[in-house]
Amino acid sequence: MDKLKTNIRNMDKNTVTLFAISVFIFIIMGILAPKSFLGVTNLQGMCVQFPEFGILSLGMMLAMISGGIDLSLVGIANLSGIVGTVIMLKMGGGSASVFIGIAVGLLTGMLCGIFNGILIGYLQIPPMLVTLCGLQLFTGLGLAITKGPALTGLPGEFSVIANGTIIGIPIALIIFIIAAIAVSFLLKSTVYGQHVSYKGTNAIASGYSGIDNLKVTIITYAISGLLGAVGGIVMTSHYNSAKSDYGTSYTLLSLLIVVLGGTNPDGGKGKVIGVTLAVIVLQLVSSAFNILRVNSFVKTFVWGLILIFIMIITTIVDKKQIKREAKGE
Amino acid sequence: MNKKISYIMTSNEMIVVYIIIGLSVLIGIVNPAFFGMSTIISLSRSMLVTLIFAVCEMIIIISGGIDVSFPAIACISLYATIKVVLFTGIDNPAFAFLLAGLIGMAFGAVNAFLIVKYKIPPLIATLGVSSVANGGTLAFLGTKEISNIPDNIDRLSKAFIYSHTNPDGITYQLTALILIPVFVCIMAFLILKYTMLGRGIYAIGGDKNAARIAGFNVSGIQFIIYMASGCFAGIGGITYMILMRQASPQVLMGSEMMVIAAVVVGGTRITGGHGSVLGTLLGVGLITLVQNNLIMLGVPTHFQTFVVGLIIVIGTSITSLRAKRIANSAKV
Repeated sequence: MDKLKTNIRNMDKNTVTLFAISVFIFIIMGILAPKSFLGVTNLQGMCVQFPEFGILSLGMMLAMISGGIDLSLVGIANLSGIVGTVIMLKMGGGSASVFIGIAVGLLTGMLCGIFNGILIGYLQIPPMLVTLCGLQLFTGLGLAITKGPALTGLPGEFSVIANGTIIGIPIALIIFIIAAIAVSFLLKSTVYGQHVSYKGTNAIASGYSGIDNLKVTIITYAISGLLGAVGGIVMTSHYNSAKSDYGTSYTLLSLLIVVLGGTNPDGGKGKVIGVTLAVIVLQLVSSAFNILRVNSFVKTFVWGLILIFIMIITTIVDKKQIKREAKGE
Repeated sequence: MNKKISYIMTSNEMIVVYIIIGLSVLIGIVNPAFFGMSTIISLSRSMLVTLIFAVCEMIIIISGGIDVSFPAIACISLYATIKVVLFTGIDNPAFAFLLAGLIGMAFGAVNAFLIVKYKIPPLIATLGVSSVANGGTLAFLGTKEISNIPDNIDRLSKAFIYSHTNPDGITYQLTALILIPVFVCIMAFLILKYTMLGRGIYAIGGDKNAARIAGFNVSGIQFIIYMASGCFAGIGGITYMILMRQASPQVLMGSEMMVIAAVVVGGTRITGGHGSVLGTLLGVGLITLVQNNLIMLGVPTHFQTFVVGLIIVIGTSITSLRAKRIANSAKV
């Protein structure tokens, strides 16, 4: 019993809070609308919806750990989806074209990320500005390719990504899990992971201790772009079409998720498990709102409130901790 | 003396001026009608509201912060104001401006409170406030566009201070609302240059701790600028409504990018501490020029977002390359 207590105490407070919130929402909704909320359709529906912005959030988290931010993720996602779609349509829509389309789409995302990384790392333009411009640039490029309307007529095999299941588990969810494990491995068990968190904590110190900040920055944004592209492919498959302005609300949402998940906005700290739980909490809130038939604009309102409150609570907790440490406890 | 001239000729503002001249010549070659009073009048009309936002944004960026909530604040101010005006029947322009300004200021105060009191990064705080304001407008105030603006307020859209008739007999009129951004620009220029408050804003942007030690009231100054920015966002919103003769709860959303871009292209450093009203004026001018005239240059509409993005990237790259060169050059 004591062992359990210390275990709980050692766990990250943020993770525990998020876990408690999601359990709480489950119980409340279980009482309010047991049939519709706990039904298999709703649970499966949720599992199809959240991977899209969940994967984008992972990219955002990486950028934030490195001390930056990536606001261009939605732009990258749409552009990758569009490029992939164009390839698939041009190649006639066979299974081979689906694979090539996806591969080229992912490559596009990565190139966009490298572009961001070079501007940030080499030209030293602040990440927020670069990625904000990037959003404009990539969205614009997507718009230039599609000329406005959505690209449709995707091959049937492609829609399997969002709509198919393997033993009852949606494929989109599996993609999200793989991405989460990969990012977690990258952060915990590779040299790059250590470097990125050092750079996020103090870029000048990491530079002096021999870390190649430019390389770390470019790799970070390249991976972030790649994750954006993965999100974009899932999104394209989900809508079964590609357009330059899908998912525009995801920028705010992914930022909210990452901060909610306990990532330090100043860089240096962040956990995949926190972000994953935050994604689940937001999806639960969103589904609960849908089932209770709340106006969807209220959702935006509530998300903003949650973001502000979480930030305030984090600051208060941090302040208390600093005080406690100062007292020598 | 020579050094001073060469310094002025290569300053950020002048680079923007060169680009504007180059672009104008290019457009002028394609369309000779471009050179004329009509262009100036239509340009000033398009950049009117953007300029109000840009000057406020510039002041905040100089202080080392950022504000992405002003479109949402402007929207909620204009929409709430028109609702109140229609409900109470007080058809007075001064009242509308005052109310919009106050609503904006209230949201600005929330921004300031979060940023100063809780030390939340400005981007995240204002993003949150933006989402609350926008969601709140649409969820609680309504989503319908209102076009029955009361007469007295509507009359402002037909007040002109200058009119010009071109040889073809088409009359271009300069709206009197242009006086608002002119006033904002002059005020911002005077405050930034000649008051302790203005110097304090630059000082905070350079180094917050140094500013505090030098005796500036950092929290106070931050409160003032965020509240003023909110207030002018509200006024900008109502101006836009009068200009368009329509109140829509979401019309300005998404314009933050363009405004920040204009400010940065004008030579304001996003890291804080540098920036001028003149630069911002030119930056807004350049972006508006590009937006209004790309079609004339034969750029299809669906390429516009991309081209504007490209110009911003190039503009910011030039600014930051210069900053890098200055940082690396020998110090006296």
